[in-house]
Amino acid sequence: MHIPDGILPAQVCAAGYAITGLATWYSLRQINRKPDPSAEIPKASLLTAAFFVASSIYIPVPPASVHLILNGLLGVVLGYFAFPAILIGLFFQALVIGHGGITTLGVNAAMMGIPALLAYHVFQLRNSLGKVLKEPTRTGVFAFLGGAIGLGVAALIFLALIIFNIPAELDAGAERTAVLALSVSHVPLAIVEGIFTAMLVLFLRRVKPELLEG
Amino acid sequence: MRLKLALALALGAVGWALPVLGHGVGMEHRRVSSVEVQARFETGEPMAQAQVLVYAPDDPAEIWQQGTTDDQGRFSFVPDESVPGTWEVVVRQAGHGAIATIPVSDGAGAGAETNNGTGEPAPATTEPSASSVISPNTTLSPVQRSITIGSVIWGFIGTALFFARGKR
Repeated sequence: MHIPDGILPAQVCAAGYAITGLATWYSLRQINRKPDPSAEIPKASLLTAAFFVASSIYIPVPPASVHLILNGLLGVVLGYFAFPAILIGLFFQALVIGHGGITTLGVNAAMMGIPALLAYHVFQLRNSLGKVLKEPTRTGVFAFLGGAIGLGVAALIFLALIIFNIPAELDAGAERTAVLALSVSHVPLAIVEGIFTAMLVLFLRRVKPELLEG
Repeated sequence: MRLKLALALALGAVGWALPVLGHGVGMEHRRVSSVEVQARFETGEPMAQAQVLVYAPDDPAEIWQQGTTDDQGRFSFVPDESVPGTWEVVVRQAGHGAIATIPVSDGAGAGAETNNGTGEPAPATTEPSASSVISPNTTLSPVQRSITIGSVIWGFIGTALFFARGKR
């Protein structure tokens, strides 16, 4: 669901860059407050590589086919590192794979990165709201929610951006139907990514639980 | 999802024939050169029922022709040869799309001949002529692509290793 060059008007692209700039600044400030800001860079770097590759993995969801995004997973595992990780991952995707574009980099980063931060906060809720559940289930359920919500919110932002920016010369009805169909096909993807996030988090919790504190 | 636009500029025959209805009716036909574009998703699946906008070189702000692709993602149109230059074809569906630029030269080749009356009818099939132009493929070959992707991934892993070192 990367938005390519030439789809959005220039003002929207500029606004995307502005929002991405703010969010990057905020994320970096939060990272800088940690006792050792560079401690999590290896983890962030490896997950950026995973994010970069994930968009080449297609899942057929009839009638369309969608690809993995993994923004919710990055949010859950990386916290505030997720935003710069997604920004860098998207930059390389635009350059190398041709997903998205340089003018829409800001829009795409905001569209996927801000839901990732939201996913992080959803996952953190496991320590307050999730107290009713027992431990492995609790982490699993909140990881699933984080992964699924991260993707779901990104898909909703995508839907809104496209619907509000249909150029006047296009047949708006047909375009709206097409974009709705595409968004609906992201519902199964959200479930897949949620399960994937839960699996990864439960695995990390077993082998290296300190990676999840952050 | 990125799109690839496969272009076939078929300088073939799209016959124009007026029906013979009765006495004293002349028939004329001419060959025109048409341009066919085919839009496909990166996965190779055709982009069916996508909206197509064609812009002429003399007025890039005004739509010259509008249509939709067929089930194979194909769309063809006949550019006005009196307007040489770079024609633009925009294909768009559900926030995905691509722009193709098609050079059209003045009176391109054999396209402009006109026959009046007794001429032989134009062949119904498109001849694969030497003047067919497939737009150059600007994307990388699979090998180049995998090397680039591999290098980028190695960059990330290298960064991870670099920062993982130091402590301890």
